[in-house]
Amino acid sequence: MSEEVTAGGKPFIHHHSAHCESGVTSALFRDKGLEISEPMIFGIGSGIFFGHLPFVKWVGLPISTYRTQPGAIFRKAAKRLGGEFVTQHFRNAKKGMDELRRVLQSGQIVGLTTNIYWLSYFPNRFRFQFNGHNIIVLHEIENGFRVSDPVLDRPMDCLTDDLVRARFARGPMEPHGFMYYPLSITPKPDMRTACIKGMLDTCNMMLRIPLPIFGIRGIRFLAKRVATSDKKLGFQEACRELGNIVRMQEEVGTGGAGFRYMYAAFLQETAELFGSPELNELSQEMTAIGDIWREFAVVSARIIKKRGKQEETFAKAGGLMLVCAGREEELYKNLRDAAGKLKA
Amino acid sequence: MKVNEVPQDNTVQYYEGIKRACYAVNNEGKYVIVPSNGWEAEEFINGLAVDELAVNLEKTRKAVLAGEKSPLAYHMERRQMIPGILGKTAGIAVFRVKRHCRPEIFAKLKDSVLDRYATALAITREELKTVPQK
Repeated sequence: MSEEVTAGGKPFIHHHSAHCESGVTSALFRDKGLEISEPMIFGIGSGIFFGHLPFVKWVGLPISTYRTQPGAIFRKAAKRLGGEFVTQHFRNAKKGMDELRRVLQSGQIVGLTTNIYWLSYFPNRFRFQFNGHNIIVLHEIENGFRVSDPVLDRPMDCLTDDLVRARFARGPMEPHGFMYYPLSITPKPDMRTACIKGMLDTCNMMLRIPLPIFGIRGIRFLAKRVATSDKKLGFQEACRELGNIVRMQEEVGTGGAGFRYMYAAFLQETAELFGSPELNELSQEMTAIGDIWREFAVVSARIIKKRGKQEETFAKAGGLMLVCAGREEELYKNLRDAAGKLKA
Repeated sequence: MKVNEVPQDNTVQYYEGIKRACYAVNNEGKYVIVPSNGWEAEEFINGLAVDELAVNLEKTRKAVLAGEKSPLAYHMERRQMIPGILGKTAGIAVFRVKRHCRPEIFAKLKDSVLDRYATALAITREELKTVPQK
């Protein structure tokens, strides 16, 4: 946490967060005077998810995602908490930068979607062509901008050149200079209804999408693929795929265990809000599931290092994932029942 | 994950002194954010991906020096791009980008085309025509 000042002279407190989009959204709400934590935004925006897309390749490897598509958390949280929001896309880079400067001068902080490769303040090993990173711009400084990147532990300076490239990068999921900020928010939003909506939406997505690659069915699908991948693809290629799954789970700003810990934190906060012991139990169960995901990551790392003992096999890694699938399914079913009974 | 289980493996080279936020349970059973300075398992797997990129880049560099590919292929790969992304960024059709990766065709390119590549890759025109010798 550190103090900063926005262009309007308002103090801004940088909160270190686990995930970029929920961190940015909660900071925008906090700036408007609503004290809301990152897990709350993540839960209300139904951020948790699972999907394995074998046909969408990223650096030649299939994508496994532990969250909903970029942009959805902000959209859903904004809709459920209420308020007046501005979202803009640009075709022309100059117009996009001019509009950003204009809004900053009005004393507003702005959320941007950027390409992470061109943000040079990031550690080199995190920089790759990914067009879904979110940051907050606080004010303009000499040949650059002061930005608050929720994933990092302190605000940073970003060069203007870098920011233009990052905002108008091309490729898959182009940001098109996307910027978003609230004009006003509902002063006392109906948190209870918003939480219930968020939880039920999550349960629906995890349990009811009739495609085998999403939700619980997606986890099972991937688990089976992992268990047999060394025989189908050969050890080398199977290791690359397994490594990629673990990267998606741990590295890309998840707060640990592919967002499962963050969701457990959300469930804990809602349990307090509603005074519901049931939700508290579910939170503890989610923590336990997160621990299994972590174990999966450790086992995978050992397999790839080859220094594991005999029992560390692809079948074991897939088995751990199946355990996760079973327990998560049970959890979301219980959550659906519990959330359905709650009074708004 | 308990607060004292949050990995603190101090992977300096990987995080470059920046800490990551992890959610963990404290002694009272409440979730709090704990800054972590690195996890070995994660660093190892990230390292694999980074090394793979470096090995491929080195291969391309050798191919350029051997006259099998044009410097454009090297610089594209250095920016972790593929012809599709570079083509869109520079405003040049993908099939042309692929053709320009051949040295004999790259050698004949006009300055105006080279400039578009140079801007898209954030390097100078002179840099675009060469690759590092070592």
